[in-house]
This record gives sequence, C-alpha cells and structure tokens, in this order.
Amino acid sequence: MSRKLTVVLLVMLVLAGAMSLKTVAVTHGDGSVIMANGGAPPPITPWKNGGAPPPITPWKNGGAPPPITPWK
Amino acid sequence: MPGLIHSIIWLFCTLLEAGAVVCAVRTNAFRRYFFLNLYMGMSFVASVGRFQVLKHWGNPSLEYAYFYFYSDALLTIGLYFALLNLYSLVFDEMKVERYLRIGAVLLLGGTAWFSYAVINQSSHRILSHFAFELSQNLYFVGLVLTYVLWGAILKLRETRTRLIQLVLALGAYFSAFAADYALRNLYPNYQAVWQYLTPALGCILPAAWMISFFWVNEEARLAPSRLAAVPR
Repeated sequence: MSRKLTVVLLVMLVLAGAMSLKTVAVTHGDGSVIMANGGAPPPITPWKNGGAPPPITPWKNGGAPPPITPWK
Repeated sequence: MPGLIHSIIWLFCTLLEAGAVVCAVRTNAFRRYFFLNLYMGMSFVASVGRFQVLKHWGNPSLEYAYFYFYSDALLTIGLYFALLNLYSLVFDEMKVERYLRIGAVLLLGGTAWFSYAVINQSSHRILSHFAFELSQNLYFVGLVLTYVLWGAILKLRETRTRLIQLVLALGAYFSAFAADYALRNLYPNYQAVWQYLTPALGCILPAAWMISFFWVNEEARLAPSRLAAVPR
C-alpha cells in the first residue's frame, strides 16, 4: 500500500512540476507554441486570431483620442 | 509551401525517422525498443501525411492546422510511451513494472484532466483545443520525466551504453526545443534564424537514435570511472 501511495505522490509531484514549468514558460512567452514533433512547418493556430489581423476593439477608444476624465 | 531550405530540412528529418526504424530492425532492437520505434514510425507517417495535406490545402488552411495539431497530440502521446519504454528498461531489474504502469496511467490521466480543466474554462472549441493543450502539457511532463530518468540512471550507476545514449538523446531533444522557445522569445527579431533552426532541431532525436541503434551494440557497457585514491 505504501508503495502505491509513493507512486501517487511521485506522479503528483511530476505533474505539478511540469505544469508549473509550463506556466512559467508560457507566461513569459509571446504566445507561440512549443512543438517538438518533426520538421513540418507549424500552421497558424485557428483558435488564435485565425490568421487575420485582430480588429480594433470598438469599446476601447474607438480610434479617437480618449477625453480627459472630469472627475479626476 | 515552405521554402527550399526548410523543405530540405523537413525531408532530411523524415528520412532520419525512417532510418532509425530501419536500423533498429537490422540490429534486432525493434522489439526491445518497441515504443521508441513505434514513435519513429508514427513520426514518419505524420510527416508524409502533413506533406500531403500541406500540398493539397496550403499552410494557412484550417485543414492543415487541424491535421498538424491532432497528429502532434498523437505523436506526443507516442513520445510519452517511448519514454516509459526507457523507464521500464532502466528499472527492469528492480521488478517495479506494475508500479510504473500505475504511475504512467495516473500521470497521463492527470495531464488529460488538467488539460480539460484549463480549456473548459476558456474555449468553446473543446476538442481541437484539448488536443493542442494536451500536446503542450505532455511535452512538459516528458521534459520533467526525462530529467528524472537521467537522475535515476546516475543514481543506479547504469552502464548500458545504448540505453544511456537513447535517454541522453531524448534529454537533448527536449532541452533543445525548450532553449529554442526561450531564445525565440528573447530575440524575436531573429526570425530568419529561428525559421530554420526550429525544424532542424527536429532532426536531433531521429539522428541520435539511428546512430545508437546502428553503431552501439546492445552488449556495450560504459567503463566506470576510476576510483580516486584517498589517503586514510
């Protein structure tokens, strides 16, 4: 029983370590992906922008310069 | 379609993958290192498939993106099992196969659950994003497991040359991609270099495994380092 619990503990340690490492790498990265399988050219990820340039969000400034907030 | 240099690198990498399997068969190492060869075979098939899809649909197409990421998820699972194959060979004299199997299933299940938990919060394309997330997470799990295995090899004073070379090649492969990722983020202006370096790194593993299967005998052993004479 203790051996099985040791296995579970080791698995959790490896999983936590790997996910922490991934979080650190992705947080400090530019959003690109790590692909370690072969030399094929990586495609554009369809769920990230879909290849087209992201539009300007209309609820942020809308192109015009932001006004001075009178309550500050 | 990729440029000429990239195509040459890709072709070279694909030939090395096939070469690794051929060398393993010729040196009667296919069954002993079954999952390593299965992974190399899968990589070869995936490369050919990706080329066909790329030729037919083009790089910006959704078809290529989905084929690439789904095949990548399968390949990463294959690489995970190849790593477990190496684990079972390193620990074969300790009779812990049962615990290794339990650990492997738990770790794969845990990674899949974690991936699902992440994408369930943030994505509506669950299946596609799950394949991508699982692939990324398993890559990091593989990275950690490889270093743990290397630590075990050092601790157990393993002397089987071929086994050590296979594990070291895997460590170099994972580390090279991690370093490439870090450098790409540190120096994004050198895109001209990264576009050739990243696919070239994919040749490390098949080349190293091919060399190990072809030139290193299964019975070869590393001579232990000489003991230092310490005055008492």
